[in-house]
Amino acid sequence: MPELLGKDFTPPDIRGKVTGAAKYAEDFRMDGLLYCRLLTSPMPHARVLNIDLSKALGMEGVVDILTADEVPEQPGAATNILTNEPHFVGEPILAVAAVDETIAQNAIEAIKLDFEPLPFCVDPLESLRPGGPNAYLEGNAVVPRQGVQEFKWTAEDFEAAGEGELPMGEPTAEWSYGDLEAGFSEAVFTLDETFVTASNSHHSMEPRTALAYWENGKCHVRGSTQSQSFVVPGLANYIGIEPENVVYVAEYCGGGFGSKGSAYPTMAIPAHMSRKTGRPVLMRISRAEEYFLGSARPGFQGRIKMGFREDGRISAVDLYIVQESGSNGGGGDMGAAASSVSIVYTPLAMRYRGISVLTNTPPRGAQRGPGQNQIAMAVEPLLDKAARQLGIDLVAIRRINAPTNDSRYGANRQPVTSAHLRDALDIGAEQFAWQERRARSGQRDGSKIRAVAVGQAFHSAGSSGYDGLVRITPDGILHIHSGVGNLGTYSYASTSRVAAEVLKYDWDNCEIARGDSSLGLPWNLGQFGSNTSFTMTRTNYAAAMDTLSKLKEIAAMEFGGSAEDYDISGESVFNRSNPSRRMSYARAAQRAIELGGAYSGHTVPDDINPMTARAVAGLVDTGLIGVARDNMGQRGMVPALAVGFIEIELDVETGKVEILDYLGVADCGTVNHPQGLATQIKGGAVMGFGMACTERLIYDNVWGLPGSVGFYQAKPPSYLDVPSEMGWAAVNIADPQNPVGSKGIGEPVMGCSAAALLCAISEALGGHYFNRTPVVIDMIVNAHSGQPQSHTPLQVNTQ
Amino acid sequence: MPAVTQIVRLTVNGDLREVGVPMHFTLLEALRYGLGLTGSKQGCDKGDCGACTVILDGRPTLSCITPVFEAEGHAIVTVEGLADVEGPHPLQDAFDLHGAAQCGFCTPGILCSAAVLLEKTTSPSRTEIKEALSGNLCRCTGYSKIYDAVASAGQRLQVEAQLGESGR
Amino acid sequence: MAIIRDMIPAFELFQPTTVEDALVLLAEHGQGAWVLAGGLDSYDWFKDRIKRPEAVIDLGGIDELTGISDAQDGLEIGAMTTLTEIVRHERVRSEYTLLADAAEHVATPQIRNQGTLGGNISQDTRCWYYRSGWPCYRAGGNTCYAAAPQAMNREHAIMGTSRCVAVSPSDTAHALVALDAKMIVRGRRSSNVYDAEDFFIGPATDITRMTVLESGDLLTQINIPGEWANAHFYYEKVRDRGSWDFQLVSVAAAFKTSGNTIDDARIVVNGVAPFPVRLDAVERLVRGTSVDEAVAIEAGEIAIQGSHALKYNEYKQPMMSNLVRRAVRSVA
Repeated sequence: MPELLGKDFTPPDIRGKVTGAAKYAEDFRMDGLLYCRLLTSPMPHARVLNIDLSKALGMEGVVDILTADEVPEQPGAATNILTNEPHFVGEPILAVAAVDETIAQNAIEAIKLDFEPLPFCVDPLESLRPGGPNAYLEGNAVVPRQGVQEFKWTAEDFEAAGEGELPMGEPTAEWSYGDLEAGFSEAVFTLDETFVTASNSHHSMEPRTALAYWENGKCHVRGSTQSQSFVVPGLANYIGIEPENVVYVAEYCGGGFGSKGSAYPTMAIPAHMSRKTGRPVLMRISRAEEYFLGSARPGFQGRIKMGFREDGRISAVDLYIVQESGSNGGGGDMGAAASSVSIVYTPLAMRYRGISVLTNTPPRGAQRGPGQNQIAMAVEPLLDKAARQLGIDLVAIRRINAPTNDSRYGANRQPVTSAHLRDALDIGAEQFAWQERRARSGQRDGSKIRAVAVGQAFHSAGSSGYDGLVRITPDGILHIHSGVGNLGTYSYASTSRVAAEVLKYDWDNCEIARGDSSLGLPWNLGQFGSNTSFTMTRTNYAAAMDTLSKLKEIAAMEFGGSAEDYDISGESVFNRSNPSRRMSYARAAQRAIELGGAYSGHTVPDDINPMTARAVAGLVDTGLIGVARDNMGQRGMVPALAVGFIEIELDVETGKVEILDYLGVADCGTVNHPQGLATQIKGGAVMGFGMACTERLIYDNVWGLPGSVGFYQAKPPSYLDVPSEMGWAAVNIADPQNPVGSKGIGEPVMGCSAAALLCAISEALGGHYFNRTPVVIDMIVNAHSGQPQSHTPLQVNTQ
Repeated sequence: MPAVTQIVRLTVNGDLREVGVPMHFTLLEALRYGLGLTGSKQGCDKGDCGACTVILDGRPTLSCITPVFEAEGHAIVTVEGLADVEGPHPLQDAFDLHGAAQCGFCTPGILCSAAVLLEKTTSPSRTEIKEALSGNLCRCTGYSKIYDAVASAGQRLQVEAQLGESGR
Repeated sequence: MAIIRDMIPAFELFQPTTVEDALVLLAEHGQGAWVLAGGLDSYDWFKDRIKRPEAVIDLGGIDELTGISDAQDGLEIGAMTTLTEIVRHERVRSEYTLLADAAEHVATPQIRNQGTLGGNISQDTRCWYYRSGWPCYRAGGNTCYAAAPQAMNREHAIMGTSRCVAVSPSDTAHALVALDAKMIVRGRRSSNVYDAEDFFIGPATDITRMTVLESGDLLTQINIPGEWANAHFYYEKVRDRGSWDFQLVSVAAAFKTSGNTIDDARIVVNGVAPFPVRLDAVERLVRGTSVDEAVAIEAGEIAIQGSHALKYNEYKQPMMSNLVRRAVRSVA
């Protein structure tokens, strides 16, 4: 039985959060600090013709101004650090540094800019029309390996689609497996549905503030990122220096949800400004700027054809997605969505086609469950529609299509490490009293209708091949060096406990080194993609195993015999046949320093990343160094699967939806940190509720002006919108390819709640399917009053 | 118009402090830039999220939309002042124990709102907690751990009050 | 031209302690003066640098503007009384629950702690085009962006428009109209009392203001007459989120009843027009009738007669109809 894993603990960084001592990027102060503000584009697409800085530079307290010409340009469809051809409202054109923020802002007002407005576009489908507007001068679509290209469909493509149906011209991405035609001919019931999912912002509570200064040729940056080591190469590139010359501190991050997983362009502005001025620079990003710059989930205009056999089994799926990719080309959402369909429903045959279209709206990027969660919202209600038609229970239709350990994933029919969606459905159905509750679904009390529903989602949740680094110092303390980052889930800590578990450490004698690259942090994948639980348990396991070998070797050198003769207990290493031959870890650490070589970090394995090697170099002779690359191998994709069960009450007269109860069930392998998992399930659920019913970006169609630039306009859920108590459960079956059985889970727990809520709304309305998210209350009121919706079926930008 | 700096006297966490600030400064700016109390956060600048909540004369108040000069002469408590000489506020321990802070950015404001609630009642119902905290947005937790933490801090305060009484 | 967000420009702050002093300051600074109450609306404008007063007159220090007192007939509420005080006030809670209800629906606890009744009813509209600083009619320009054929106008008006289609954002305005409140407005030379119904003005009267208050005026007090004390009240606000959200449609109604017969009624809807809309026709319909579902349905239908939806706010018609129906139904 593990001593630490599977148990709750108090993460070391939480105390700072409850006392106010935790320092986020905006909390650092330095002597001579300058404050930087951005002049951003008022137009969705324009060219800066002339900049007159004279008045601004002459203002008292203004120190310097940084323009696009002074920072590295980013190739292709990308957000630039600063630009003279902004592609969205709010894109930074230049930055002003002054002795305080007010003066910086006053200077910005004094800058005279001449713009040439350029054509712009806010709707992907409009851009695909013959002669439609392009978001970039070069074109409107990001074509793999070709960059931005002009890509238009033909008039015939548009005419071929029926009223309200997605036209399906030539895609830029495509794959298929199985015999699609046979699959559809086998079907007794076929759906062909067009759907739209709107973009929504991440709403991280902390805007993406950054501070930078230069010291001894190195650039020190305090940033707001989910990830730690993974950020450094990208940030170095934005600054234009080598990664080893970046000192990066991201001890706390006030939320990211995918939007702060990697380095992002604006975080380099203070670094450039600091280099120019020779003074430390803080650039605080405001909430409105965060809505402009902070990226958003790409919207989908999609169409799905699904064939069902009589028993509910899905025989074929044909999926087409037009991805609204904003000003930077978005991410891989559409492909991820397609792959998600292939594993959640395991259709016997499937085709996917997609095209990513640029628009002059905020940049897009990964948001919790990128692609998988949009498609869960689109497809799950359609599954219910089919179940109704076929007379099958809603859980049963999911069960029959659910993946198993033998299922295959995506275009390449990749194997999976473990998949227990069926168990999750069963556990949830039992715990939620599914049958009992379903019996009252549809009951009406006055204007209120009760509904009970279920939703599912998936994310690929684990990676391998990164480095682990731990260290025992002569005081006996185990230092676990974690480069993963800290987005607030405490998974950096729960995965660090694996090293302590392997070495049978008392957790009180362990310290986690993290949050500051100068502490010597290994190369780790970023804290995103639900991967930390899987990836970081492996790296920490690898480093701990290396430490364990070294401890045994040192003991064998001391007491004789071979390393295999030794075991560990009570933070000491001892001879199995003669336990009196025992050496404390503290002493072993001292011996390691005396021995040198690999024991104390003078040499490192050849296969570790240069960043890890540099980290070890900085730790040489501080103790016994355990360092290793995770070479455990990985066969197949690691599926994180989640199911949400929901009961709601919908008032048809006001459109108000009250969530009465919610249960989230996770297939995340062995549960490593129950409290952390519970918060993921519930926190994810609440984000999902928001995505399903209130959150979306809007723009004015004529002017390209963004209309959701404050929380009250963009509407993330408040305390009053969600239940105060929600349930959670886990399948808790070990993943065979992780040394402690772990898989990730952070993302699907959002998609399944969103899907469940949407399904429940449709259920309450007697099987009215909106094929659109979010389902805002206006749509419910319109639907119930029998009046048409204000939007057209394919419109992506709606209110 | 040039910014005119004036001295404002603020009673923060029991200390009377003087700070020179421009007249247009908000209380939040004075705390963060003037006094170095960076626990209160700027989440939205517009009174929209509650991360800047401080306690002003016993009321949860949005420091980002309060003119600093209006706070003169009033008692201000920030997250840094929730603990006293005897130790952390029970809420702080409860948030630790229940994992009620995730990214932690909204936490200082939530603690201030919750501390005022527990001044009124140490046995708040979930509905009372919901209402009291409804001006504090949190994006990570899904809120439910926060309910647990506030309720358990209330229980501890009750026990402490009972022990205090029996001790007399 | 640059978009400027979230950085207040310098201004001069005045902290008068008497109404007289405040009026002098207002007169002295004329159009450059700004009256600051709770700060929510004001700081939104200031931080975006869209409204740029030279002199901010902070009413927070004027004691005579705060508090609720018993009048001979009803209540007298100082304009700077916070919404929290109103929600907690014993007589408001027992005799004028409509007002307590309305005040409790404002934004968040913190905003109710800071926000005042005077500020809540004097706040500017939340039309997002106008708030973005676009030069619309209301901002002194030559067009209404929100009424354009493709405009995003889900939150906008379905009645009472005239060039501008913005709506009144207040949660308490319609409750005060339903209670037949009287607004005391002081200027330097004169003092006026307005019926709440007349206090709120539409764009046809003056497109740049939402109330009768002009430069130099100060709303000092709101009087709630005893006439509607302990009436049967109904308040309902529909919004996207339970917290920090403006109404999409909201109804405030007061009924004098005998059994389920309505003797008299004042029914007011907000969120559908640039001002709270008193539904005279519905009131006429229900006066003297005993309420059943048929009456309620008819009331809902009459309520939206003459309304005109924009591209994205058609839902407001059934929603308003439903809310009025629910208000009338509540009497049965």
